[in-house]
Amino acid sequence: MARRYDSRTTIFSPEGRLFQVEYAMEAISHAGTVLAVLSKEGIAMAAEKKVTGKLLDLSLAPGGSGMGGEGTEAWMGGGGEKIFLLNNNILAGLAGITSDANSLVNFARNSAQKHLFSYDEDIPVEMLVQRLCDMKQGYTQFGGLRPFGVALLYMGWDPLYGFQLYQSDPSGNYSGWKATCIGSNHSSAASLLKQDYKEDLTLEEAKSLCLKVMSKTMDSTKLSSEKLEFATMTLHPESKQPLAKIFRTSELDELLQKLELGGTPDEAIGAGEGSGSAVGNVAMST
Amino acid sequence: MNSVLSQLQPPAPHLGLDQEEDEFTSSDPSAWGSMGGFGNLARNGGVQGMSIPRVNDPTAFLDLHTDNMSSNPEAKIKIAHGTTTLAFRFQGGIIVAVDSRATAGSYIASGTVKKVIEINKFLLGTMAGGAADCQYWETYLGMQCRLYELRNKERISVAAASKILSNIVYQYKGMGLSMGTMVCGWDKTGPCIFYVDDDGQRLKGDLFSVGSGSTFAYGVLDQGYRWDLTDEEAQELGRRSIVAAGHRDAYSGNTSNVFHVRENGWEFIGNYDVNELWYEYEVKKKAAREAAAPAASPMAVEA
Amino acid sequence: MECSFGITGKDYVLIAADTSAGRSIVRMKSDENKIKTLGPHLAMAYGGEPGDTNNFAEYIERNLRLYHIRNHFPLLPPSASAWIRRTLAESIRSRKPYAVNLLLGGYDTTTDLPHLYWIDYLGTKAIVPYAAHGMGVYVSLSTMDKWWYEGMDKREGIEVLKKCVDEVEKRLTVALKFNCILIDKNGIHKIDLSEQDPIAKVEASPEETAVEAPNPPIEVGA
Repeated sequence: MARRYDSRTTIFSPEGRLFQVEYAMEAISHAGTVLAVLSKEGIAMAAEKKVTGKLLDLSLAPGGSGMGGEGTEAWMGGGGEKIFLLNNNILAGLAGITSDANSLVNFARNSAQKHLFSYDEDIPVEMLVQRLCDMKQGYTQFGGLRPFGVALLYMGWDPLYGFQLYQSDPSGNYSGWKATCIGSNHSSAASLLKQDYKEDLTLEEAKSLCLKVMSKTMDSTKLSSEKLEFATMTLHPESKQPLAKIFRTSELDELLQKLELGGTPDEAIGAGEGSGSAVGNVAMST
Repeated sequence: MNSVLSQLQPPAPHLGLDQEEDEFTSSDPSAWGSMGGFGNLARNGGVQGMSIPRVNDPTAFLDLHTDNMSSNPEAKIKIAHGTTTLAFRFQGGIIVAVDSRATAGSYIASGTVKKVIEINKFLLGTMAGGAADCQYWETYLGMQCRLYELRNKERISVAAASKILSNIVYQYKGMGLSMGTMVCGWDKTGPCIFYVDDDGQRLKGDLFSVGSGSTFAYGVLDQGYRWDLTDEEAQELGRRSIVAAGHRDAYSGNTSNVFHVRENGWEFIGNYDVNELWYEYEVKKKAAREAAAPAASPMAVEA
Repeated sequence: MECSFGITGKDYVLIAADTSAGRSIVRMKSDENKIKTLGPHLAMAYGGEPGDTNNFAEYIERNLRLYHIRNHFPLLPPSASAWIRRTLAESIRSRKPYAVNLLLGGYDTTTDLPHLYWIDYLGTKAIVPYAAHGMGVYVSLSTMDKWWYEGMDKREGIEVLKKCVDEVEKRLTVALKFNCILIDKNGIHKIDLSEQDPIAKVEASPEETAVEAPNPPIEVGA
C-alpha cells in the first residue's frame, strides 16, 4: 500500500506522511556523524569521515595534501568531504548524499556572494540557513523531484546575534542549538551532549566536549585525523572579525593526543586499514 | 458593454505584446482573485491606459515632436497651455477659482472652458496645461474613485485619490504629458488640497496656484490670505486673484468660475466676467481712495 | 535651489534639509519634509528631479521595511548604504534613471558608531564625516572644514550646523528654511534649529521629540 505514495514527493500518504522526505532523513542517519558545540568564545565542530583507506588519493581533493587552515585558507576545506566554508563567517558540516551536499554548498556560497554583492556585508547566519532551507523545502513540494538527502550543521558569527549554531534537515526545517548532532548515532550523541553540556563553556572545553562525545559515538575507540575533520569558528583576537579554522591533520592529531583520545603519529597516517564500511555505496553517502 | 464605460476604458497599451482584452474578458486570474476588480491596475501598480508611440524610445520621440519639454520649441505638435487656477484652504473649507481661456499660441481658442473637473460630489480637480491630458486622466480618476467607493464602502480620501493620479502621471513622466492640477476635496480629515503635476510631483498644502498666470494670482492671494477668512471674503479673494491674473497674463482671462468645497460636498458659486470685474474693481478702488481722502481738494494749491 | 547637510559627531548624526518645493520660478510650498526615516536608526535627506525624489524615497523606504519584516532586524547603515547605492547604480543604467541625490545617516547599534554617506544619482557613494548636497555645497563645505572636528558632542555639532545654515541664508540668493533631525542610540529626534539649545529639549523629553520611524516587528518570543 505504502508503495503508492513512495514514488512522488508531492503526495501525502493516507496517514499524512511524506515518505520520500522520511527516507531522505533515514539516509542521513547512516551518514558520518557531525556534531558541534557552541560556547561564548566560539564554536567547535567535529565530523566523522567514512571514506578512508590507504588507497584513497586525496592529493587532488580540495585542499590537497595540506588540507585545512585558518581564515582564507579554510576555503580549501577539510578534505572536501564533511566540513566546508560557506562564507567568511559561516562553516558547515554535512551529512548525507555527497553529491547533493556539493550542490547545496555551491548554492550556499552563491547566496552568500549575492548578499555580499547587494549589501557589502557578510550574510547573517540565519539568513543563509533560511536560503538553503527555502530551497530544500521547495524540493519536498514541487514537481516530481527528489528531496536533498542532506542534513547540515551551520556554525557562524554575525554582528547581530554573535555565534550561532543551526541544524537543518531534508524537509527544510531548521533550528538553533547550543550543542547538536546529525548523522549516525545522532540520538545517542545528543543525549551525551545533553549530559555533559554546561553553560558558559570556554572554547577549549567545547572542543574537548566535541571530541569526547565523538569518540564515544564512533565505532573505533581511538580517534585520529584519518577519520575525523575538525573545525572552529572564533573571532580574530585583534580585528574581532570572524575567523574560521579547519584543522590540519597534524593540528588535529596534536589536539587528540592532548585530550588523550588518540591521534595517530604522523608517519602512521594513511597506514591504517580504513574503515570504509562494507556497504556498496560508501562513496555516495558520507 | 456599457457605452460610457467603453469610452472611458483606456485603449490597450502598446508596450510589448498587444493586449486587446479588457478587464471583464481577461483570462488573467488577477481579475477574479483577491485582485478582483483591480483589472485596470497592472500588478506593478501602474495602469493600462494611454497608448504611447510605437518606437524604440517614446520619450525621445515625444521630446522631439512636442513643444512641451522646452528642448524643442519649434516642434510641430504644440500643446495648449496658458491658464490661471487656484485653490486654498481656510476656516470655511476650500475655495477653488479658475479662469476660462484656452489658447493655442497667440490665438484665443475658447473663452468658455470649464477648468474645474467635477470628479465626484466631494472631489474637484483643476486643469492647467494640456486640456486633453487633464480631462482624460481626471475623468479616469473619477472612475477609479467610484470603484474605490464600491469596493470599500467608503469614500476615497483626497490623499489616496491624488496619489492615484500622481502614480499615473509618474508612469508617463517624460513622455509629453502636460498637467498641473490641484485635487481638492473634503474627507475624514477635513478639507484637503494636493498639487499634482506632470513631473510626478505631489504636494500637500493650504494654498496653491497653477498656470502661466499663477504668479499674478499669488501676488493678490498671498497678500489677502488668512485662515479665518469668512466664506464671502474667501470667495471674493479667489475671484479677485483670478481677475488679477486675467488682467496681466495674456493667456488667462475671459471668465472666472468659483467653487466652494464644504463638509457636504462642493458648490458652484458662480461664473464671472473677468473684464467686467476688473473695471468694477477699478471703480471701487477709485471710490475707496476718494472716500479715504479729505472732502476738500486733495492738494492744497497755492493761490 | 536645494540644499542639505549631514554632520557626524561622537555618538550621533545630524541631517538637515531645506523645505521648499516648487516648479520653475515659483515656490509652491515652504514646509515640505525632504527627510525620510527609513528605520529606527536610519534616515535620509533627498533631493533632485521633482517626482523622482519622492518615488525613489518611497521605494527605498518600503524595501528597507520589507527587509526588516522578513529578517526581524533592520539593515545596518553600512549595508543599507550599499543597497541604496546599488539601486541607484542600476537605475542610472536603465531606460529611465532616477535623478536623486541623497545624504544617508544612521546609527549602528551593534558597534555604537554613527555613519554618514554621501550618495549621488550616478551611484557614487562616499563615507564622510560631514557632507552637503545642492547649492549649500559652495558656501558651507568650507565652514564645516573649519569648524568640524572628530568626536564633537551634540551641542557642538548643532553649532556647526547652525553656522552652515547661517551662511546659506547670508550668501544664497534664495531664502531657505531647514528641517533637521538627530539620530543617536535612542533613535531619531526632531531638532528645532531656531531654538537656542535644541539639544536640551531632546534630553528633557525624548518621547516628545521622537520622529516616527517604521516600527520594528513584534519580537518573537520576547
